[in-house]
Amino acid sequence: MLWSKSGAALAILAVVALCCARSEVSKTNMLQAQIPEASLSPTPAQLATPSAEGQKRTADFFVMIDPSHGGADKGAIFGTKLLEKDITLRLARELRKELEERGISSRLLRESDIDLSLDRRAEITNEQRASLYVAFHAGRPGKGVRVYFPVLTDAQQPLAGRFLPWESAQSGSLSRSQNLARAVSEELKKKGLAVANLGVPLRPLNNIVAPAIAVELAPEQDDLQSLENQKRQNSVATAIALGIVQARSQIGVRQ
Amino acid sequence: MIPRHFQITIALVLLAILVSGIVIIRMTHKEEALTQQTADAAPAAPMLNGKQEHIQLLLAYDDDEALRWRPADVFLPADRNLRARETLRSVLAQYLQMPSPHPLAKGADIKDVYFISDDTMIVDTTAQFADGHPSGILLEELTLASLIETLTANVPGVAKVKFLVDGKERETLAGHADLMSFYQTAAVHELAKEFE
Repeated sequence: MLWSKSGAALAILAVVALCCARSEVSKTNMLQAQIPEASLSPTPAQLATPSAEGQKRTADFFVMIDPSHGGADKGAIFGTKLLEKDITLRLARELRKELEERGISSRLLRESDIDLSLDRRAEITNEQRASLYVAFHAGRPGKGVRVYFPVLTDAQQPLAGRFLPWESAQSGSLSRSQNLARAVSEELKKKGLAVANLGVPLRPLNNIVAPAIAVELAPEQDDLQSLENQKRQNSVATAIALGIVQARSQIGVRQ
Repeated sequence: MIPRHFQITIALVLLAILVSGIVIIRMTHKEEALTQQTADAAPAAPMLNGKQEHIQLLLAYDDDEALRWRPADVFLPADRNLRARETLRSVLAQYLQMPSPHPLAKGADIKDVYFISDDTMIVDTTAQFADGHPSGILLEELTLASLIETLTANVPGVAKVKFLVDGKERETLAGHADLMSFYQTAAVHELAKEFE
């Protein structure tokens, strides 16, 4: 009798132990099966941008000025308290003033310290049918000013109809963007600034339908305060405005 | 009434099952601990079927805003994935040494490299690679161009590359360079020429 009770108890224990072992083994198998999977889901707002061609355009020629970064996205940090997001906003306001003086309308993508995703920046620019897009940045290394035009490293074939792939929405404006960058660079050189003209795959430039460039201000001789220098900022903004005036007639953007 | 010898036999069988269960549990835990230890270990476990090779690395030099080819002796495994990973790690190793021509944050590393088709490669970096990367268009573009160009020079047949950060997609490297797109190596080759 005692043996039969002990036997039953042992049997229960054995079954429990086997169940535990099985669950541990299956857990290990699951862990091993977790092959690094890239979440290669399509980017947001794909195929949502209407083609520049054949669309009814609104309003007149205007430049969309993008003070890059903002809000939680501080951009580059220079020293202890100089932030890229603040420098870009000051440059953007300066450019707006210079353009207004030359009779060219402009809009700023942000007027204050707010978060704005890269996709949203491109969406607003495309929705409002900007004639040109200019983004400001500030960063090391080097000196002077770097003017970037977009390059598509993952060129997709435009779809048939009135939609463009989001990642290569810029494809129809690449050469005009390059011309705009060249015109702005020439004006910057005339101001005596060291200028580099470079093509890079930069967001959100690649997602914008209109001619688009990014201008990056670098500190002079590692002097971080030069990024804040009002005179230098004004000089850069004036040159960009003059470049836009020059390019406006050459690159075939809408008047 | 069950015969006594039969009871003893059953008891022994059940005891054996119990002991086996316990042994399996302990072995499983040991294996898990060993796997974890191996994954955490740095540098990675010794690689087989490889050899020391004299290769060229395209390195970024911040002071000159340029990319330059530099020779290096690197142990490269025969396996294509491991070869790609070690090639990229050898570039990062140059950036992590002091003084560095293009400083990156401590912990910047390549977690994994794998092909999703014959010519398309995914490069999974550590979180520190992106989180601690200096912010700036030029600095970020130099890093990507340096890695992609060195990769294509030493691992034949790579046409497209995409970067992940700690297994996930990220919009940009440090606020500027695009990490969402697949980089066509031929296009990057043209870009890199601007900096050479």
